[in-house]
Amino acid sequence: MNFKKIFNSFSLRTKFVVSISALLITTIILFSTYLSKKQADGFRRELESTSETMIRMLAINVEYGVLFESKRDIEDALKILSQFDYVKYAIVSNNNNKILATIGDEIGVFNRVRKIDKFDEFSDNFCMDFYVVDSKGKEYIELNYPVLSNHKDLDREILGITAGFNDQLEITSTTEQIGKVKVIISLESVNAAIAEARNTAILLSVLVSLITTVIGTFFIRIITKPIRLMVNATNKISQGELDHHVPIEQQDEIGQLAKTFNRMVESLKESRDEVDSYNKMLEGTIQIRTKELETIQAQLIQSEKLSAIGQLAAGVAHELNNPLGGILGYAQFTLEKLKNNSPAKITKKEFDNYVRYISDIEKQARRCKDIVQNLLRFSRSTKNVEFEKVDLNILISETCTFIEHQLSMKQIELKLNLDSNLPDIQGNPGQLQQVFTNIILNAMQASPPGTSIEIVTRFSPPLGQFNGTVELLFTDQGHGISKADINKIFEPFFTTKEVGKGTGLGLSVSYGIIKEHGGEIKVESDLNKGTTFAIIIPLQKNETESDKPSKQYVLQN
Amino acid sequence: MSDKKNILVVDDEDVIREFLYEVLSEDYCISTAKDGDEAIEHLKSESFDLVITDLKMERIQGEEVVRFSNETNPATKVIVMSGYASLYSTSQSVNNGAFALLSKPFTIQELISSVEGALSS
Repeated sequence: MNFKKIFNSFSLRTKFVVSISALLITTIILFSTYLSKKQADGFRRELESTSETMIRMLAINVEYGVLFESKRDIEDALKILSQFDYVKYAIVSNNNNKILATIGDEIGVFNRVRKIDKFDEFSDNFCMDFYVVDSKGKEYIELNYPVLSNHKDLDREILGITAGFNDQLEITSTTEQIGKVKVIISLESVNAAIAEARNTAILLSVLVSLITTVIGTFFIRIITKPIRLMVNATNKISQGELDHHVPIEQQDEIGQLAKTFNRMVESLKESRDEVDSYNKMLEGTIQIRTKELETIQAQLIQSEKLSAIGQLAAGVAHELNNPLGGILGYAQFTLEKLKNNSPAKITKKEFDNYVRYISDIEKQARRCKDIVQNLLRFSRSTKNVEFEKVDLNILISETCTFIEHQLSMKQIELKLNLDSNLPDIQGNPGQLQQVFTNIILNAMQASPPGTSIEIVTRFSPPLGQFNGTVELLFTDQGHGISKADINKIFEPFFTTKEVGKGTGLGLSVSYGIIKEHGGEIKVESDLNKGTTFAIIIPLQKNETESDKPSKQYVLQN
Repeated sequence: MSDKKNILVVDDEDVIREFLYEVLSEDYCISTAKDGDEAIEHLKSESFDLVITDLKMERIQGEEVVRFSNETNPATKVIVMSGYASLYSTSQSVNNGAFALLSKPFTIQELISSVEGALSS
């Protein structure tokens, strides 16, 4: 599982190289191990069979030497053996275990394993092989072979002549053992040969593996290069670069894949362009719709405002009619006086009176102008809302001039409780006046005669992180708002008035305007006791600091 | 001065009060009051042939002045003035005990004919 995880994290190239190298090296190791084992076995078998032949020959050659206990004859035979390096030790003894001759040095045996019993194909006697390890860890084969003779009773001289003939042929029923030979053969040279062969095999394996890995890597690189190009291209395309093209010009499977891929990217690009252009179109449509919506919203606010102005009309008329009465009256009066007079007869007193009348006309005309301007400012379109410095106390007073006559007509008392320390705020006077008018008119409509409406302004000075707020409270003693309705009053088109009497937009528009001023409107109401609307407008940081520092100072004291 | 008729002009607007004074003072004896309270004080202490009062004033309204005048001296005629042309009809005012309604702004002719009409009836 872990190995699999590691393997999977490799790149394709590494995977190829690792798997092919692993396969190759395993094959070579298995193969060369098998071969060297086979070769080693062959070497050993050959040495064993050579040694067996040798000991058999020796046993025959020393027959007479043993028979006559002739040390010289035996030593002659042994000398032949000493020509072979691997013969470490040879000993010839008779049946009484008397050592007749030796060559080489006896080895200190550490371990001796009987390896094989072989029946001699010529003599029915067996040759005993032992696998021997000496104390130094060196390996040997120990061979034991009987010395046989069928001339036990013959004299040395007689037999000396015929010895050569009887070597291999004369095996008869009278044959008996007269002694034994033991030869110890060193496996050192064989082992060395085996080791050399094995080393060569290892060296060859390593070389072949290296060469294969290098060549494999090279070929795999050729194969994986287009794949890498594909991967790069895919990355770029997934990042949105649909103009990217896979630069592969091959006819093989990868080339075909690249072609298909390029075709796919092209069609992807086409559909993306289509989506883009559709999006652009949609964006345009949304912009147009948003603009339309903005226009409609502005119209809605404007119409709500005009509705408020409509409700104010009586108050405005009264406001205008008083100065107009003066203007009309004095103008007429002066004109009549002048008609009944002549320039030559005008006395100083009359002249002064005319001046006074005309001054009055001018004064009243100015008053009319102010009223109209105030009204115009209120009714001005809210399309482009610009904020300016606003003194809310003045704004409240101005708003009330239009309404207070209506209030007094309904016998509702208007109480103003304005904080003279109120700092200016940044706002739009027309919009704010719309809000105030709306709230006061609502209060008026909810108030029975003989009650009062109180308007309070107050200032919470800044403290630490708090920048300070300006609060306006409008409290009436009217019929109040039910709990069911109080959560809905700021919703557009919600109205408790009769059909045709209210647009249901007044408070929702007011809410929007106060939100635009960064403030909030809150309402508290007790059924049949009255309602308080609170407008809280937070001050911006520099408004209190730079505008009215002296007031701040006084307040903090 | 005694042959002149007494007229009380009540209006919280200085300009209206002054204008009525200017127009009428040649032919009539004019007293002025700038609100309902003052008017009622005048009505308590003097007798007037005619009261010309605005309807909308702070504190005591014109209607109250009309009511008080009619109660204390029914012979006194009352003309009411209003800037709320659309809100008050003549019949409504007459029902409330007024002789006539003068809608602001009014001409001198309208004023004089109303005053003369009231005093001659």
